[in-house]
Amino acid sequence: MKSPSSQDGPFSALVSRRSLLQGTAGIFALGALAPLLSACSTGGPAGGGTAKEITFWNFYGPAPDNNPQSQWFVKLADDWNATNEVKIKLRYIAQNDYVNGNTLQTAFASGSGPDVFLLSPGDFLRYYNGGVLQELTPKLDPAVVSDFLPGTLDTRKVDDKVFALPMESEPLAMFYSKSAFAEVGLTDADVPKTWDDLLTVAKKLTTPSRFGVGFETTPGYYQNFTWYPFMWEGDGQPVSADAKSSTFNSKAVTDALTFWGDSISTGVAPKKLLGNGGPDLPANLGAGYVAMQQSGVWNIAAMKQMAPNVDYGIFEIPTPSGGTSATTLGGWSFCANAKGGNPSAAADFIAWALGSMSADSIERGRTWNTVAKTNIPVRSSVQDAANAKGAFSDPNMAFFLNVVAPNGRGEPRYPPEIIKPIEDAIQAVQLGGKDAASQAAAASDTINAYLSSYSGAPIV
Amino acid sequence: MSTNLATRASGVSNPAGATAPAGNHSALPVKAGGMAKRRRRREARAAFLFLLPDGIGLTVFVGIPILLAIGVSLFSVSGFGDYVYVGLKNFQRMGSDTLLWQSVGVTLTMLIVFVPVTFVVALALAMLVKDRFPGVGVVRAIFFLPNVLSLVVIGVLWQFMLVDKQGVLTNLGGIFGLQDVSWLGTPSLALGTLIVISIWFTMGYQMFLFLGGLTDIPNEYMEAAKIDGASAWQRFTKITWPLLAPTSFFVLVVSIVAAVTGVQAFDLVYILTKGGPANATTTVVFYIYQQAFTFGDYGYAAAITTLLVAFLVIVTGAMLLVTRGGRFNADAD
Repeated sequence: MKSPSSQDGPFSALVSRRSLLQGTAGIFALGALAPLLSACSTGGPAGGGTAKEITFWNFYGPAPDNNPQSQWFVKLADDWNATNEVKIKLRYIAQNDYVNGNTLQTAFASGSGPDVFLLSPGDFLRYYNGGVLQELTPKLDPAVVSDFLPGTLDTRKVDDKVFALPMESEPLAMFYSKSAFAEVGLTDADVPKTWDDLLTVAKKLTTPSRFGVGFETTPGYYQNFTWYPFMWEGDGQPVSADAKSSTFNSKAVTDALTFWGDSISTGVAPKKLLGNGGPDLPANLGAGYVAMQQSGVWNIAAMKQMAPNVDYGIFEIPTPSGGTSATTLGGWSFCANAKGGNPSAAADFIAWALGSMSADSIERGRTWNTVAKTNIPVRSSVQDAANAKGAFSDPNMAFFLNVVAPNGRGEPRYPPEIIKPIEDAIQAVQLGGKDAASQAAAASDTINAYLSSYSGAPIV
Repeated sequence: MSTNLATRASGVSNPAGATAPAGNHSALPVKAGGMAKRRRRREARAAFLFLLPDGIGLTVFVGIPILLAIGVSLFSVSGFGDYVYVGLKNFQRMGSDTLLWQSVGVTLTMLIVFVPVTFVVALALAMLVKDRFPGVGVVRAIFFLPNVLSLVVIGVLWQFMLVDKQGVLTNLGGIFGLQDVSWLGTPSLALGTLIVISIWFTMGYQMFLFLGGLTDIPNEYMEAAKIDGASAWQRFTKITWPLLAPTSFFVLVVSIVAAVTGVQAFDLVYILTKGGPANATTTVVFYIYQQAFTFGDYGYAAAITTLLVAFLVIVTGAMLLVTRGGRFNADAD
């Protein structure tokens, strides 16, 4: 055995070369062990199984406060369990954790993802390319597929096969406070039509304690989701139709970025919204913090519940000069885990719940979209049923259904690698006061670099 | 019995057992040495058993995950159970990742500002509340109060106080000519605001650590120095500061780790700004979280984590080396 010499230094006295090599080998072995550890999960065999109980992770029910949306989910599970051998078990995860947290991601990473789960379009590609989305087409009656309204299934399909069924459509529009309008002598006829109008009206509505208009300022998926309509209105797109190259460095994009930046630099919009930000109308427009706010159809129910005395109206998202009106149709969908305990039963459950022409399925869609929540149904049969029950007699719901939704486009399924540079460009211009053209160019370069090596389902 | 007493007398007073006192009983030193050895062995066994649960916990929940993270950093991980060995590619990618380096800048700023300012503020507070005066307990409790509140509550409170146009602190700023300032919405101000909140949150805890150190300093030293005519500053620099060195060292280590990976670096960022505006508050740990759970890029996240852990090991290791393991009293050697 070689004795430590002065050449070996103090380190070698503590750690021999052999133990160092053994340690390094150990680390590599642990690295190799990591995939094995994930295989030791309870998720069942890849490609499916015949488990008699399947799990459904969601952020609605059974919720501790047993709200109407929670009740809908509990009834959904009870109805299925009453007539099926394979039972469904709900697992409620608080929305903030489900959307921004890591519960779902870590479950899939360790091979123990749920059998059924909720998915937003922004996450579709990651899950599809990860091979965990079970095809639902074989379980669907072709009549059901054509019952879904145009565009609502596009971001959930690959090669004309359906991999997720949307439960709702949540278009965005502008809400305004009628009392704030009246305070400065404005009427319903003065709602802005163009971006310039919007800034002018917002300036009139701005006071020492109130902002004229509010757009989302927190970085993330939701902010991008709310900004896309402004880009589309000038006919802009982040990626080319064949998804081979970036088209983000365009005038439409630069204009949309500049417009959001102007709303901050002119002092008519806040740099930070209250409560949960852009989606939270009661905490902002309802509380008198802003006089106009971009938000979604879900707020009709939220305002009724949390700010019933606030008189508000809705108008379409204004357009640039010469632009065409647009909005984003958000909304979550049901998905089945292809590597779950029983993918076939999970797909059966989804088809039964949201994708059947049976009266039960249509009624289920109606109660979800117009009783438990205020959404625009994604199926024409459900819309008809809701209409028959007078769900759209409310003028605000009717406005969303007849005026806003027809100009809607499905929320794009851009992967995080495209979402992030867009998010950085929005943030840099809106809150950092940076030049829109240079930010668009930088984001475009990043998107191009990603697209050059992207392989997976089409980006739409 | 007499042998036992003798053994105790020699063994206890001379734990090394090298030179037992000579006496008439020639066998006594040998016996005494054996007893001392057995006693040390028993103590060592007891110590081992007491440390075992903690050791198992650290191994299972810290040691193995660290090694696994190092292993995962050598793979491309899809987040759906697919692992592809990529060698050092994840580490090479860091060189051209501008957002990562921006987050490193944010973390270093946090480190450079948060650690010394919190140290000074906490020490000053401890000096203020170390002596008994009416209501001292209440004052100490008030300073410590943020530590017993939920971080979510703290985040929401500060958001309300700092909200544009309507926040109490925002309006207070107006008195000093800082009208319409968005403390959390302006990239050039958001990190500073976050650091101030972090200091406010942490200073009470560190104050108590210093308070513990200060109460350990014998009063006689201060009295003697006062009689010798030493000023308050001289008493602080010549007595308090040197004797507080072990506590200061502990506070510094804890503070550095907290600034890089603690609630200041992630939880408060997550609650207050989500890394914005314009990535101005995206710390390295928040960036790691984004890479792992937004992008699903676990391999890259593990690679950044590996370097971050290495950085912390080097920094704390260097501190331990310089201070000879945190021993400041030369006589202890």
